[in-house]
Amino acid sequence: MRSVNRNQVSTWSSRILLQIALIFLAVIVGFPLYWMLVVSITPPAEVFSWPLHFWPPHPSLENYIEVFTRQDLQLPRWFLNSLVVSVGATIATLFLSSLTAYGFARLEFPGRDTLFIILLFAIMVPGQVTLIPVFLLVRKLGWLDSYNALIWPVAANVFGVFLLRQFFMGVPKDLEEAAVIDGAGRFRIYWQIILPLSKAALIALGIFVFLATWNDLFWPLIVLNRLEMRTLTVGLTVLQGTYTQERGLVMAGAVVASAPVLLLYAIFQRRIVQGVMLTGMGGR
Amino acid sequence: MRKVTWALSLLIVLSLLLAACGAPPTQPPPEAAPETQAEEATPETEEAADTTDAAAEEAAPEAEPTAIVAEAGTGDIQLVYWNGLTGSDGGTMVEMVEAFTEENPDISVRVEMMQWSTYFDKLLTSLVSGNPPDLFLLHEFEIPQFASQGVLQDTSDYYTSNGGPIPDEDILPHVMKALEYKGGRYGVPLDLHGWGLWYNKDLFEAAGLDPEACPTNGEEFLDYARKLTLDANGNDATSPDFDPENVVQWGTQVSWFKPTVLSTMWQYGADWTDGEGNATMNSEQAMAAVQFWYDLIYTDHVAPQPAGFDGWQSFAGGQLAMTPEGSWMLNFNDENEINWGVCPLPQFGDQPATWTSSHVIYTPTSLEGEKLDAAQRLIGYLTSQGLVWATSGQPPARVSQLEAMTLEEFPSAKVLGDSFMEFGRYDTANECIQEIIDIGYMPELDSIFNGIKTVEEGLNDANARIQDILDRCQ
Amino acid sequence: MDNEMIMNAGRRDGPTPPRKQVGSWRTWRWTLGNYLFILPFMILFSIFVIGPILYAFYMSLHEWKVLARQHPFVGLENYRQLLKDDIWWIALRNSLYFAFLTSAVNTVFALFVAIGVSRPILGRDFYRFIFYAPVVLSVSAMGIIMSWMMNTQFGVINYFLIWFGLPPVKWLADTYLVVPSLSIATVWWGFGFPMLLYIAGLQGIPEHLYEAARIDGANSWRITWHITLPLMRPTIFFVAITQLIAHFQVFGQPLIMTNGGPGRASFTTIMYLYQTAWRFFRMGYGTTIAVGLAFVILFFTLLQFRLFGRQSVVEY
Repeated sequence: MRSVNRNQVSTWSSRILLQIALIFLAVIVGFPLYWMLVVSITPPAEVFSWPLHFWPPHPSLENYIEVFTRQDLQLPRWFLNSLVVSVGATIATLFLSSLTAYGFARLEFPGRDTLFIILLFAIMVPGQVTLIPVFLLVRKLGWLDSYNALIWPVAANVFGVFLLRQFFMGVPKDLEEAAVIDGAGRFRIYWQIILPLSKAALIALGIFVFLATWNDLFWPLIVLNRLEMRTLTVGLTVLQGTYTQERGLVMAGAVVASAPVLLLYAIFQRRIVQGVMLTGMGGR
Repeated sequence: MRKVTWALSLLIVLSLLLAACGAPPTQPPPEAAPETQAEEATPETEEAADTTDAAAEEAAPEAEPTAIVAEAGTGDIQLVYWNGLTGSDGGTMVEMVEAFTEENPDISVRVEMMQWSTYFDKLLTSLVSGNPPDLFLLHEFEIPQFASQGVLQDTSDYYTSNGGPIPDEDILPHVMKALEYKGGRYGVPLDLHGWGLWYNKDLFEAAGLDPEACPTNGEEFLDYARKLTLDANGNDATSPDFDPENVVQWGTQVSWFKPTVLSTMWQYGADWTDGEGNATMNSEQAMAAVQFWYDLIYTDHVAPQPAGFDGWQSFAGGQLAMTPEGSWMLNFNDENEINWGVCPLPQFGDQPATWTSSHVIYTPTSLEGEKLDAAQRLIGYLTSQGLVWATSGQPPARVSQLEAMTLEEFPSAKVLGDSFMEFGRYDTANECIQEIIDIGYMPELDSIFNGIKTVEEGLNDANARIQDILDRCQ
Repeated sequence: MDNEMIMNAGRRDGPTPPRKQVGSWRTWRWTLGNYLFILPFMILFSIFVIGPILYAFYMSLHEWKVLARQHPFVGLENYRQLLKDDIWWIALRNSLYFAFLTSAVNTVFALFVAIGVSRPILGRDFYRFIFYAPVVLSVSAMGIIMSWMMNTQFGVINYFLIWFGLPPVKWLADTYLVVPSLSIATVWWGFGFPMLLYIAGLQGIPEHLYEAARIDGANSWRITWHITLPLMRPTIFFVAITQLIAHFQVFGQPLIMTNGGPGRASFTTIMYLYQTAWRFFRMGYGTTIAVGLAFVILFFTLLQFRLFGRQSVVEY
């Protein structure tokens, strides 16, 4: 009995310790974000004031008002572009890379391992050097100033294949074997067994791709010319042309660009937990 | 299987939708083109990134926004004009273009302004794909790099001496010379901007100095800087109790290394090359020039170590009294309500010299026909409006305009413009100039001024690197 | 879900082909069907990834000025140049240092945070949210914020240090501190993503294993060590590999926060590549740098495969 008691005490104290550590970490991680908000509501005249104010003496929303009312910033349209492109790229990536990952994780065909090594090697080559060939290609396809240019090159995402392959290989095989006995084909096993069991990984990958597409700057900038085709991130760079002076405005822009993604994450992070709990992956 | 079918049809619908949305551009959108008067950004942002403190040097103030894309006019001949002006100069540019299209109703112009670094990348890809804008703005020092690849149009016949609209006799000879490369003449200069000495009059008065008088040589400059450097106890750098570890107000700073060091080297009679394929970055005179600034930091303690020092914020906050800086600093100073003064760059060496540069409007090789004619008219008009352009701080490139400026109307552009006319000097032209700057000397100067290398080590290394590049680039 | 499953290809038998003699039409059809799973992706991959990579390699064998019309063939000259280019070695050293530091910290730190926020504690969702939040920033927003935090003169961190009576630190302004500082900034920005992957992986560990251990009287440290970590190996492996690959290619953070300085102390390989190809127009040499870097990354990735799984390295 004594040992159980000691265990309970240690559980208790370790919980408190954990709680303290997490609070401490949350403060450190959260502070720069808080600072971003503070700067974004500081009027330009006070942005350089020293010593620092941890809450602006005269908080104002003028930076946000400027971001939302500037005539040349087509926020609703850019937001829509970002959304279409990011959702499109996410769906395309999730579908294509899960299908491919299933192939590499579970199916047998000649050359499979060689192909996978080629895939892995491809993520080691920096994208900057393939930019011009890809640009010329996209131009030849007539995709400049179109959503296609932002979706399909992204969907050729090796990272996703690698990630999902790792997860699929962890899915217990007894479930599949049962399905095979029931006469299920490969696609049905992939669709009805593997995918539901890997929800957590799919959501994590989905968030990653969405975010990467949403925040990408260099590629959209090069393939988009028309003002109304720009993504939010690209459009808002005009605020970032400058650093020192317009700090508040730049930060307001960054907050506006990040808020939708943050919201999306807040919605989906709970599903990562649920998704897995529902499948009950016991027995691994 | 129902789910599968559903997902697949969704995917198909989506791709159709995308394909529809992604139809190639036809007519530019009618919206967007607010006539906003605007912010100021240093047109030098791209070059300024060369210094360590990105935040400090990329500083570029804005007051009111500039349109990203502006459509001017409704004429049938459509021109596309790209530039890297994201500051108030961008707004001024749009106004000038709009005035032009009013006078020339047959032409419409689409002005696109981009942040400098991204503009450069976009320009490059557009040139590679053979689809460049009809006009674009770069600097004079980029001519050899671009012209050697055959992407700039030889604009000799834009000038009156060859029957074009631009009066060449009105352009300063040394500016004109900077546009020449292998027998051709590339582009038309819009302005003549460059390096001067900006100072804070309030701090001058507090130190008992005449706010209307500037240091004119190295000795005076050091003397002023010492009086203007204060430690936390209020002692200036001339005091025996001065604590160099605890400075709260700096007399001066090196600022962006390239113009400061080049100007000083030229004043000492040095340059990074002798013009015959030899690097001369470690000549005695070059060492003396760099040593001058090195000593201000490490011997006299009147200038801060550059890494981690935010020069623009310090100047705005009254913690920096004098700074070598470009003619583009005007709007920043006005917006931060600094009681500023400006002088020509002091003569630190034995001859006057200061670094200058020009914004130049170019056309691509492929431009022809009525578009070429329209572009010529637009360029002729824009470059004739130097005084309008000067309102954003940049002195004009034409003699008649420089002379027409008054101190009342253009307090900084007049002072600096006169000095540029008299002893301004351009970067020495080279096809590999960008490499010589970014790989050759800037990181080495950064090492020197941050105390990682001695002046001699740093300049010897820089010299070796420049020689390597020159050997390849001859 | 153990390491063997990752490394051991032989056991990954999914749906089995119809048992007929090898080479029959039905077997072939079955195999063709298998190819169909990877076909759509492989088409995109060939067009947008492999094709351009091969083209880049082709460029690296030429003196390829971006805008020039002719590109003289120079064979392996660019590679010979690369080996004796001291800037390449300096940049590579900086990139290696940054990549190892950042990926090691991210891999380990994110794992412990993930284990922490997978416990049933108060405010769990809040912690998960706040730790992930910096990930949503774009690299430029993150770079700007962290350079304010780490500025020597006006930085918030130094402000606090002075407030606590400590000497200020020259985060980004010191030759020796600059790479670790960039690394700290990057961990702050990015540890949320590996954390998320770990959380996903932790969800998959069956509860009855924990219960069994608890009944045996194991405390939480022992449970973590003997049950959680071994079962998490595939995820840890994946995170370690992809983190290293990603951070080798660091570009935005040093570009925005230090521009490679002081001196060349934070100048990275991709910065060099970018300058060479896009600023100096030397695409041939730029692609050579990229190919060189890819081989260095490959070397270290293979090393990791060997460390994580002794058996069947040949696999990948």
